[in-house]
Amino acid sequence: MRILTQLRKFCQLPPLGTGDKWQVTRDVSRVTWHVARGLRLLALFALLYALAAPPPILVTLGPQQIVRTTNPKVGVHTRVTDEVEEWKIKKNFEMVREMGATWVVEYFPWEYIEFDENQFDWGHADLVVDHARRQGLRVIARLGFVPRWARPKESVTSFLDEVRYPAFAHFAAEFARHFAGRVEQIVIWNEPNLNFEWGYRGVDPAGYARMLQAVYPRVKQAEPSVQILAGALAPTLAPPGTVDAMNDLDYLQQMYDAGAKDYFDALAIHAYGWTAPADEAPSSKRVNFRRAELLREIMVKNGDADKRAFITEGGWNDHPRWTKAVHPAERITHTLRAYELCKSWAWIDACALWAFRYPFPAQTYLDYFSFVTPEFDPKPIYWEVQKYAAK
Amino acid sequence: MPRNSRQSPVASQQSNDGGPQTTDRRHPKANGGRWSAVGGQLRIGTLPLTLLALVAFALYAFLAWFPKPPPKPDETWVRIVETGAWRVGIDPSFPPFESDDAKGNLSGLDIALANEIAREWSSANATPVHVEYVYSGFDGLYDALKAKQFDAIISALPYDPKKTEDAAFSHAYFDGGPHIIVRASDATTKTYYDLMGKSIGVELGSTGDAFARRWQRRLKFDLRTFNTPADALRALRVGQVDAVFTDLVAFNDFFRADGGVKQVGAPLVSELVVIAVRKDAPTLLAHINAVIDAMKRDGRMEKLYAEWLVNQ
Repeated sequence: MRILTQLRKFCQLPPLGTGDKWQVTRDVSRVTWHVARGLRLLALFALLYALAAPPPILVTLGPQQIVRTTNPKVGVHTRVTDEVEEWKIKKNFEMVREMGATWVVEYFPWEYIEFDENQFDWGHADLVVDHARRQGLRVIARLGFVPRWARPKESVTSFLDEVRYPAFAHFAAEFARHFAGRVEQIVIWNEPNLNFEWGYRGVDPAGYARMLQAVYPRVKQAEPSVQILAGALAPTLAPPGTVDAMNDLDYLQQMYDAGAKDYFDALAIHAYGWTAPADEAPSSKRVNFRRAELLREIMVKNGDADKRAFITEGGWNDHPRWTKAVHPAERITHTLRAYELCKSWAWIDACALWAFRYPFPAQTYLDYFSFVTPEFDPKPIYWEVQKYAAK
Repeated sequence: MPRNSRQSPVASQQSNDGGPQTTDRRHPKANGGRWSAVGGQLRIGTLPLTLLALVAFALYAFLAWFPKPPPKPDETWVRIVETGAWRVGIDPSFPPFESDDAKGNLSGLDIALANEIAREWSSANATPVHVEYVYSGFDGLYDALKAKQFDAIISALPYDPKKTEDAAFSHAYFDGGPHIIVRASDATTKTYYDLMGKSIGVELGSTGDAFARRWQRRLKFDLRTFNTPADALRALRVGQVDAVFTDLVAFNDFFRADGGVKQVGAPLVSELVVIAVRKDAPTLLAHINAVIDAMKRDGRMEKLYAEWLVNQ
């Protein structure tokens, strides 16, 4: 009753029972006027908001593009997984195309897509793949990053217990099914010969082989045309017994020994040059670009001569202080030579070097691997690759 | 007769003074003194809001005028003064700024600078200050500083605005960015705008290269790339290019051996070299800045450059 009285006062209505015979009519009139005034105010606020708010950014896929290049094996590893804004994703791939690269390797973290078990969110992954393909690029997807529900508490995202291999295989199969016709290659895991990429456990080539055995049939059942890439091993000279890592050549052989051969279609290779020129002869005692040939020899020795290989990481760094870096001019020279070597290697399909651009500075030597700054400022290496690819 | 329902009730009230209304709603205290009416009168809730604003203002005024406690003393500086030990983090792999020989003896511009700062502090301190160098990989310097493994980083450290959440930076003592280098006989070039349409030599992939490419379209540079700065400077000396964009370390290195070239104008891109301390060490930072400023004023900094960048 008190609220009603206050409301009448707010609307300037006299107390009930004090008016003449037209009081009800006047009351309705006044209430209507107040409602109309409120609506007018709302409309004014809405208009002001519409004028003050920034217009929505319209990003479209745009017309279908093609890559113009004289070396169709040129590629880069992009880093748009953590890129939030769509225009940056698009710009990233536009610049890759304009550089003359055909291939991109991109990381699709399992947790980002299957945050809850059997609940898949393809939104961001679709953006990435669709923009890349619209620029005429071919996408190699790297899968990893274990979601919380698939690993013990306090474990790291590279820890995947064998009992969860079926869950990972299910995710990989769903990924292949979802991106059928859009993603042709899937890399299973990253650098499993490093202890920190293997959940800080002792590295285990046989365990990795079992992962491939779990994943391969599920993916092939879901999408037979997709290629499973294995390996992606970190080039390292770690001596036997090292806790942190296993020599990549030893690891690959032990993968074969554990029966991995029938569970991958091609090998993913990481070919870093460190301080050596691209042409330096391969040696089991050196990390250099042509160490890739030693991995190829192991494939051939194990009866996989018909399988292809993809360089999914690699290249040189020109940090002024890092001990494994080279001078900027050397980085450019070595990079162009590496692309040329890949062109001549019949067993290589793509040469995707690390890394096109970071979404934000790493604040370490890693920044000196990139071709373009986070602000999309091309480094001289970008222009030189573009010039090379246009020749 | 009934009024038009679309007519304003305020207007209708004004034209209805003779009507059956028993209260004067234009007075704020009408209707029993409640602050309730509309149309130029106070609304419900105005009084509490006013009181709230007054209380907030009073609280703000109290806090603003309340005497602040004295700032916490800079524990790092206090310890340096008491013990005489100034722990400096370096990555001794970057001559001519810092390097060590086979016996572990350190030398370089940064070492000389740190020792000079300590020497000046010693003159005003009861306990002489000496520098204790702590080795660290370059990428780990900031983490080690944060973990208090040392008090300052002096290691040809570029100023990085993105690190200012974790570290405080001194005034710059060197600019490592590319400069314009021309032949000694060139009296016309003062800025890069004077080089419009001319041939520019750069080290391929360097910061100078990136700068030249950025301005190439506008200033019509004839860009020539070389594998090393020395190659570019040699081409400059013999007249193959009109100017070279390179850093002062490369310039001084070449100048010492070959001569015939000079540096003109301001840096094309600033890459300031600074000393970093923890943010909880403002007194230490102030003392470092005081010495750097004094060294710039009295010529000691120029002497350091001459000693480590030219006369090596």
